[in-house]
Amino acid sequence: MRKLGVFICHCGVNIAGTVDVKSVAEEMGRVEDVAHSTDYIYMCSEPGQQIIREAIREKGLEGVVVACCSPSMHENTFRKAVKSQGMNPYLCEIANIREQCSWVHQKDREEATRKAAEIILATLEKVRKNESLEPIAMAIDRRVLVIGGGIAGMTAALDLAEGGYGVVLIEREPGLGGHMAQLSRTFPDLDPALPGLVAKASAVERHPKINLLCYSELEDVKGYVGNFDLTVRKKATLVDWEKCNGCGDCIRDCPVEYASPFERGLGMRKAIDLFYPDSVPSKPVIDREHCQYFLDKGCRRCEEICPKKAINFAQKDERIELKAGAIVVATGYELYPMERLGEYGYGQIPDVIDGLAFERMLSPNGPTRGKILRPSDGKVPKEMVFIQCVASRDPDRYMPYCSRVCCMYTAKHASFYKEQVPDGQPYIFYMDIRSDCKGYEEFLQKTIEERGLLYLRGRVSRVFQDDGKVRVLGVDTLTGRMVEVAADMVVLATAIVPSPGVKDLAAKLRATVDRHGFLTEAHIKLYPVESSTKGIYLAGCGQSPKDISDTVSQASATASKIQALLSTDKLLQDPLIAFVDEGICSGCGICVEICPYEAREMDRRRGISVVHEALCQGCGACIAACPNFACELRNSSASQTLRMVDTFVA
Amino acid sequence: MKGNGAFVKRAMVIGGGIAGISASLDLGNAGYDVVLVEKLPSIGGRMLQLSETFPTLDCAQCTLTPKTVETGQHPRIKLVTYSEVEGIEGKAGDFSVSIRRKAAYVDWERCTGCGLCQQKCPSKNPSEFDRGMGLGKAIYTLSPQAVPNKPVIDPSHCRYFKEGKCRVCEKICPVKAIDYEQKDRLVEERVGAIVVAVGFDLIPKESFGEYGYGELPDLIDGLAFERLNSASGPTTGEIRRPSDGKVPKEVVFIQCTGSRDPERYMPYCSRVCCMYTAKHARLYKHKVHDGQAYIFYMDIRSTGKGYEEFIQQGMEEEGILYLRGRVSRIFRDGEKLIVWGADTLTGRKVEVSADLVVLATAMTPRKEAKELAKKLGIEADDHGFLTEAERKLRPVETKVEGIYLAGCAQGPKDIADSVAHANAAASKVQALFAKH
Repeated sequence: MRKLGVFICHCGVNIAGTVDVKSVAEEMGRVEDVAHSTDYIYMCSEPGQQIIREAIREKGLEGVVVACCSPSMHENTFRKAVKSQGMNPYLCEIANIREQCSWVHQKDREEATRKAAEIILATLEKVRKNESLEPIAMAIDRRVLVIGGGIAGMTAALDLAEGGYGVVLIEREPGLGGHMAQLSRTFPDLDPALPGLVAKASAVERHPKINLLCYSELEDVKGYVGNFDLTVRKKATLVDWEKCNGCGDCIRDCPVEYASPFERGLGMRKAIDLFYPDSVPSKPVIDREHCQYFLDKGCRRCEEICPKKAINFAQKDERIELKAGAIVVATGYELYPMERLGEYGYGQIPDVIDGLAFERMLSPNGPTRGKILRPSDGKVPKEMVFIQCVASRDPDRYMPYCSRVCCMYTAKHASFYKEQVPDGQPYIFYMDIRSDCKGYEEFLQKTIEERGLLYLRGRVSRVFQDDGKVRVLGVDTLTGRMVEVAADMVVLATAIVPSPGVKDLAAKLRATVDRHGFLTEAHIKLYPVESSTKGIYLAGCGQSPKDISDTVSQASATASKIQALLSTDKLLQDPLIAFVDEGICSGCGICVEICPYEAREMDRRRGISVVHEALCQGCGACIAACPNFACELRNSSASQTLRMVDTFVA
Repeated sequence: MKGNGAFVKRAMVIGGGIAGISASLDLGNAGYDVVLVEKLPSIGGRMLQLSETFPTLDCAQCTLTPKTVETGQHPRIKLVTYSEVEGIEGKAGDFSVSIRRKAAYVDWERCTGCGLCQQKCPSKNPSEFDRGMGLGKAIYTLSPQAVPNKPVIDPSHCRYFKEGKCRVCEKICPVKAIDYEQKDRLVEERVGAIVVAVGFDLIPKESFGEYGYGELPDLIDGLAFERLNSASGPTTGEIRRPSDGKVPKEVVFIQCTGSRDPERYMPYCSRVCCMYTAKHARLYKHKVHDGQAYIFYMDIRSTGKGYEEFIQQGMEEEGILYLRGRVSRIFRDGEKLIVWGADTLTGRKVEVSADLVVLATAMTPRKEAKELAKKLGIEADDHGFLTEAERKLRPVETKVEGIYLAGCAQGPKDIADSVAHANAAASKVQALFAKH
């Protein structure tokens, strides 16, 4: 019989406020094989851990149950504590009496106390039969894959490369820069976005440790932290970038023009073109959808003009196999589509544009060379309406969250407008003004005072076209009056949403997303840049809306975490995985089909199924599926589980 | 450690709050040696004073203490607490930092942290850690869970230092660790990079004439309310007002106290008050079901992940009353505090007769931050927040190579952003070290 110890945490008042911890500790003390049972205000603190360590030493404990918060918080903390006393860490188990008891039964102290005791008794059953286990040591690959070449991905890639690690950076578009490349000047310093960005992009392109794969997407991921096997699809650019010298002749001579997505439809691009005029790398791609050659086999002007013979209409997508030890997901954002906003005219009113379109208009390299001209007729708008929180903070109809950057960029937009059109009048509809980072409030105040911006606190109910004007109906909640503005142009600060395809990507990576599609961090404070899947890290707006400065910090943070991860020789993995009773396994192969991690494999020679230890995550799917009960999870055997169930139903 | 011209791949982190801890752990885990210098006797910083944290309402202790313990036990992190940076020389790769180790009057080598001295110490004085609401001893640790768990004697409260007698702690100490003769010591550390994470302060409530210059006992600041909510605080987590220990039935929370007020106080937004006030009001409602919480605000700023949802839940499900407007005056009327304000949405004057008022006072830099900046040769703004090299693309670097910023010393931020900022600083240090 093992000598067991029970340690009950108050978690301040989180547990002790609901569960009578003293009486539970006494009750556990009366259990036959429990040699020590006690409680403490914060078991995870140093004195708390000391209590556990001393009890192991003095009472010669051979197994420990800590009744506290979820094991995802502190299982590791307590396993380390018992290990320091020579106990095998897998003889320490957590009884979750916070999330699964005190927090959900706050109004019933008696029942909560009874349930806490039962949870602990059940966990004692588990510990009685736990085996001593050793972690599985695995070799690691020191390269890192960064997905996304916006400011977040570039920052992470450069930090890692500077730290001496090899990086593969893949970007879906033909060039680096992401949405930041579309911006004119950035708040609150109002310096141009492009120079700093291009400098960074060039540093990425030149860095000997960075393998840049533009126009590429992640197709498949296998493996696990330390050892990811990746397949990247490099899309056919139809231009041999090795040969291309970026002279631009092909772009100039291409006869096909169409609305450029980069210019948000306000400007045109050619069928062969750069991602944007200052794009890094400065190499063009051919868009099959628009290229005359692909439409009717005619044209081929670019092929004729190219002095380097770089055009290759026969080029095929290429699949590249890579290995990496860690992955940074920096997939960025998109704006909520205007087409889905009925009250703002479903994107059909030409003079109603979104924030990024206005950025293009303000950009010296944009479709109007920086001039504010309304799209319908090219006139200078004299009355401008800016509407914040479009589709943000609107749980009933659109997105419940705040998009974090719109207050600031709208103030910036209105300020630039006043600068260009001194006799124009900008109106800003807002709900709350959110200028909460360094220098933002000051920027806002200064802008409002110097530029005479008119802020109206209220929502807009409708925007419609009327006789060459865009009529805006809204309320001013401060005066309680209806407001109607006959505007020449309207800029919508539409909500930030995750970039398209991120859900599929997350599924490939086995990372989780929230209901909006933002990638979920492992813990908002403890692990803000780690995903819940080991080895996958999150940077930038793919995790949640944020501004450039916070994005850069977060991206560097991922680089720091990864360097710590990859600085060791061997990666240790929990051995709490599946194993097969070879005498019972019939080799039916159901487990191989069902395993989501490709950790089960048939051993044809022996006619049984085996477990790939490094791949198995201990999810238990194969155990549930096995018709012969031939596989079990280490330290979660069927007999252990049944004994635990018995405790509850007894 | 003598200088031999080699690039020193060892870092110093100044400040042992959540930012400094995060940076230290990252660097330690990446295999670099770290010297963590903390002004107070133990690490943990402001976060240790908090009860629960927004938006998840996780208890602050539960998220922080494992990190303080890990830091304390980390083989690569050397804790130098109760110490301040005195001077600095050199450049990236070769900084020589002199540190004043303040006299603790306790020999920490001998002390076992048994706590007997604190139990027996007869002196009782308002505890700074509990924002003056609880009583502390002249020989103290910041909390029973302190890392390191070693006490110091505060000579301004110790009877022996003040009156020449007592010496109870000396008599009771089983390992003879008390040393009244201990002096400050100067020590030198040689490091290749420095992360400055000295954190923040709050504007003292005594600065606000319109709110009674801090003379009203039931008018407290946000950190004090955190202590009232904390299981480890002076009321063991029960909401009881300081003057008479009664459970307050009407509580007024005032946001932007001293923030966004360029004429009189600080022009900037303190970034965390909207969220912690919402949290305060919600925690209050969890504990005092029939109580009413009023929040005066200017704008509600809930920009982080899950923050907006957190605020909405407070308004809709917990019946917290938000009033958009500033408060002009607070004064005492019998047992009550009368709060005069305006509701700018209705255009009416509002008067609330409250039992307790909580001010979300502005975050300010530590008062020593400017001087430290001077010693380090880095820049600080007019308020004393340390200046980054470039706001957007270089938010953790300074103009001096090898010196980096982390957390609220650079500007107000919440815990999640402080942690990311600190991790980023650690990344820059690693890149610097990898280059050499």
